[in-house]
Amino acid sequence: MILIHCPYCEEDRPEVEFTYGGEAHIARPLDPGALDDRQWETYLYIRRNPRGAHAERWRHAHGCARFFNAVRDTVTDRFEVTYKTGEPRPAGDTK
Amino acid sequence: MSGYRLAAGGRIDRSRPLAFSFDGQGYQGFAGDSLASALVASGVTLFGRSFKYHRPRGLVGMGPEEPNALVTVDRGPARITPNLRAPQVALHDGLQAKSQNRWPSLKFDVAALNDVFGALFPAGFYNKTFMWPRSAWEKLYEPVIRQLAGLGDSPVARDPDHYDATYAHCEVLVVGGGIAGITATLEAAAHGGRVILIDEQDELGGGALADPAQWAALDALKEKLAAAGNVTVMTRTTAFGYYHQNFIGATQSLTDHLAPADASGPRERLWRIRAGEVVLAQGAIERPLVFNRNDVPGVMLASAGRMLALRYGVAVGHAVVVMAAHDSGWRDALALAGAGVHVAAIIDVRNVVGADLADAARDAGIAVHIGCAITTVHGRHAVTGVTFAANGTGPACKLACDAVLMAGGWTPSVHLWSHAKGSLTWSEAWGAYLPGTPIENCHAVGAGAGAWDMGHGVVTAVLPSHIDVRAQKAFVDFQNDVKARDIHLAVQEGMRSIEHIKRYTTNGMATDQGKTSNLNGLQIASAALGRPVEQIGLTTFRPPYTPQTFGALMGHHKDALFQPVRKSPIDEWATEHGAVFENVSNWRRARYFPRGGEDMDAAVLRECAAVRRSVGIFDASTLGKIEVVGPDAAEFLNRMYTNPWKGLQPGRCRYGLLLREDGFITDDGVSARMADDRFHLTTTTGGAARVLGMMEDYLQTEWSDLDVWLTSTTEQWAVIALQGPRARDVIAPLVSGIDLGAEAFPHMAVREGTIAGVPTRLFRVSFTGELGFEINVPASEGRKVWEAVWDAGQAHGITAYGTETMHVLRAEKGFIIVGQDTDGTMTPYDMGLDWAVGKKKPDFVGKRSLARPDMGLPGRKQFIGLLTEDPQDLLEEGAQVVADPDAPMPMPMIGHVTSSYRSAALGRTIALAVIADGRARIGQTIFVPMPGKVIRATVTAPMFYDAEGSRLNA
Amino acid sequence: MLEIAPMAVAGIDLKRGSQPITGAVYGLAVTLAPAAPLVRWSLRAKDAALLSAALGRTLPDRVGTHHDGIARLGPDEWHGLLPLGTTLPAVSGQPLGMVDVSARSVGFTLEGPGAVAALSRGCPLDVAKFTPGRATRTVFETVEIQIWCLAPDRFHVEVWRSFAPWLWHALAEAIG
Repeated sequence: MILIHCPYCEEDRPEVEFTYGGEAHIARPLDPGALDDRQWETYLYIRRNPRGAHAERWRHAHGCARFFNAVRDTVTDRFEVTYKTGEPRPAGDTK
Repeated sequence: MSGYRLAAGGRIDRSRPLAFSFDGQGYQGFAGDSLASALVASGVTLFGRSFKYHRPRGLVGMGPEEPNALVTVDRGPARITPNLRAPQVALHDGLQAKSQNRWPSLKFDVAALNDVFGALFPAGFYNKTFMWPRSAWEKLYEPVIRQLAGLGDSPVARDPDHYDATYAHCEVLVVGGGIAGITATLEAAAHGGRVILIDEQDELGGGALADPAQWAALDALKEKLAAAGNVTVMTRTTAFGYYHQNFIGATQSLTDHLAPADASGPRERLWRIRAGEVVLAQGAIERPLVFNRNDVPGVMLASAGRMLALRYGVAVGHAVVVMAAHDSGWRDALALAGAGVHVAAIIDVRNVVGADLADAARDAGIAVHIGCAITTVHGRHAVTGVTFAANGTGPACKLACDAVLMAGGWTPSVHLWSHAKGSLTWSEAWGAYLPGTPIENCHAVGAGAGAWDMGHGVVTAVLPSHIDVRAQKAFVDFQNDVKARDIHLAVQEGMRSIEHIKRYTTNGMATDQGKTSNLNGLQIASAALGRPVEQIGLTTFRPPYTPQTFGALMGHHKDALFQPVRKSPIDEWATEHGAVFENVSNWRRARYFPRGGEDMDAAVLRECAAVRRSVGIFDASTLGKIEVVGPDAAEFLNRMYTNPWKGLQPGRCRYGLLLREDGFITDDGVSARMADDRFHLTTTTGGAARVLGMMEDYLQTEWSDLDVWLTSTTEQWAVIALQGPRARDVIAPLVSGIDLGAEAFPHMAVREGTIAGVPTRLFRVSFTGELGFEINVPASEGRKVWEAVWDAGQAHGITAYGTETMHVLRAEKGFIIVGQDTDGTMTPYDMGLDWAVGKKKPDFVGKRSLARPDMGLPGRKQFIGLLTEDPQDLLEEGAQVVADPDAPMPMPMIGHVTSSYRSAALGRTIALAVIADGRARIGQTIFVPMPGKVIRATVTAPMFYDAEGSRLNA
Repeated sequence: MLEIAPMAVAGIDLKRGSQPITGAVYGLAVTLAPAAPLVRWSLRAKDAALLSAALGRTLPDRVGTHHDGIARLGPDEWHGLLPLGTTLPAVSGQPLGMVDVSARSVGFTLEGPGAVAALSRGCPLDVAKFTPGRATRTVFETVEIQIWCLAPDRFHVEVWRSFAPWLWHALAEAIG
């Protein structure tokens, strides 16, 4: 069971308290009506699915209930860093 | 002492004899024996039959690495456990065990024919056979293979035992209670903090248990452990897996070592341990040697022979030969001789052996043959002798003996180290991988780290022989019946990677996970491939280290605790009134209230009629509820739902439709505006958590500037639905502070007041099409108010109804149930709910997707009603609909039936369905092919009762 | 033929206890008791000072702590557990979310040297490290709970009403 560092609780908490939230830093377009179908399809469905460092969202559902961001290596399943909602992905990560 | 029990010695308690049975025959052992030691003491050599060839097999090791002696232990009715390793079965009085994988008996096994025809069953033979004729697969090959395959028989009765589980935290966890582990534990304890020491055996000591010279020191160490207040010692506890961030799974065996009559409480306990630091002290496992007929019962590991003699006081034979490639074989031979076991000879494949060992052997009267190798073993159910030769190729010498001990070197146990992705380093000296660099906060000590003096040896898997290895019956993996020649065959067939060789031959894939076969297999592959071992790699170690029971992994999730069954505050009343229940999500809900032997159909017809005739009462407490509070509450709801919310006045309700961002309906519910900045939202029972999660996602990550907060109030409110023309009459005397008149309190409104003295949010809403209310009261008062309404309703013929009736009544009105009439691919337009979509709203979740080209195409499934030509024909929910029943198969299907009921109000059946271009087909006949007949039905609008809604607005 | 209990009936007879149960876990004594009825508030605000003023109470500052009956569960979430009869002030038009959820949950107390072990049976947190004043939302197996550490060896556990029979039974079984 992985321990995940919740940036709001400021402590490591067990994986069972969390739910996964998909790829991070995909902002909902402010004016969806202005997007063409290809752009809207990209927003809805297209994801990077990288092998390696992945910026993604988690929610501390059974803790502080906050959404936050994380960079996790999809191969080793190791969390490299977690950071609050709205903050940019920390520099120094390989994309 | 008769048989093979030594006159003295061992850690057994000779004052406590125990009786047990094996394959129906009675034997005797002592307290402290394992099943294996007691059987060997009684002269038993035959323990089982091998997996594929059904060759007679005996004991090889005295630990979890034992590959052959797999037994079934019977602890009483429904408590049969197969595939236990005999050396790990603690003996208790009355133990009943039997061998496996043989018929009719261990001695005469019919399937030994497999061995006679063994040449036809090399590695991977099944990839090339059982293909012709194809028809024979189902009727002949598969049933026969199923019968022959496997080892023990699975139990078929439900496991009556209880199992426990717990989390534990400690600063240091030490796995392995030999000298190295105990020492590490005491060091850790000295630093303070919580220390846990676990060992899979029934007493601490590890290898020292077979060395009496260390017993005094061992006792002293155990006393220190007991004196340390911060150390928890658990024996009979196996660490089976090492997971991320020092999370260890371990199973503690609590009662299997006791006679069933003495066993109470849980059988096993699962420990989920999070450790600050992990110390692995799991020791090393001895390797067998690979030579012709090395699987005859009586051929075993030298360390096993030593353990039997010194820990259990049992001689493995009356004339023992040691075949060594390592000094430890000599040390074991000398220890055996010292304990009174007759060691006839030591044969060592090395040309040079330490003078001290050679001298000691001669002093002990043991014949010594250096630079020689065994070329074959004689005997079938027991060893009768060996033939050996200088370098395996010289003139043959024969030696009579009844046991052969193999000393092939030592493999540090790196299973758990590898689970935790620690790196491994090849050691030429050990001929094995040693722990390298860890990823977790972990280190290895003792023999498990290669930090123990076992002596010197030469790494050799296959002994030299004049017989070609391909003609030898030289076993590498005893449990899976893999021979050296199979590994050569795999390489010959083109396998290059060790992972492929493993899977092609099944070497290392048995329940022992290759503990005695991995390294030997690697050496043979290396020789066959002509590449050094370090370049070939090693197969992956995976949990569990040893087989674990499903019971332990299940813990206490069994019977009553299997999973929470959520019950509403009205559930007890419903039970008392004879309700039949159904599962909805993780709740249970009353489905119908049968009276006097009614079946469901009769009960539902009666309940439906009662609601429309007078009044019915229904428990709607399980529906999801969310309190939306804050200055931006209406703005938020406007962005989430299809409907416009800003104009909704406090005191009014609205049916809300929720889409996913891809435009498909995901949930719905009637919601009320309590105040400018407060809404009482409802969701479906099954959607409550999902909807709240979806809303929090948008609120926290997209629209965090909004001042609005969401609170789940599903369990805060009990909801009593009262539906029918007499509904108002029933509650009028109970309600205070609310004007219930039709104009003062119109349909789709909410009022606050009290009912039966309890504060209430009283909704005037209807899912039935009748005059209706949903009485929301705090859940702690739910039953009290329900009973007050029930009593008040007696004079009006009030009837309790369940979810089935609720489904029928709403279907008569064409109200959808999300998840039943929708399947995650329906838009509001598909379901005829365009009226719920705010046309002037610039944006809401899912709006953009509604404009996708596919969403407007003809041929989309649309929500309609169906009336069967035969009014009593009940369509099956899920049945497919076709336009032309005579079209050739496969017929084009145009949709399916989503809801289907017998309607009391109409006196006939009704159905709802989604079919392509449904609305354009209204009036047409469609067909529902069923087994044996085709049902004809007319497409109608999805509305069967009171289309004008006059009853609603009463 | 293997007989499997239908899931619809598993656990239907579980009832939340109304009387304290005393037992032990690994020999350490512990008492499980239903907590007295309480008033429960879900309190939300981005501006803690605003919430504090509206309530007329000081609020705990650190996430994961409680004092005077109010716990801070998250950056904008507080939860009140207060004696019966305490009234929730009515506010409107302010950026605050205050909801009475008194009937939503029920409380249990676990008290004694075995309380930590009883909780550890299903809670994956290091409860032994909880000091008085600690409060957090977490899980017991699959059931969401709040744990408030009231004193060394004394804990208050909050659980939603419909999960309470299961949780009571699980804890009662732990203390045997």
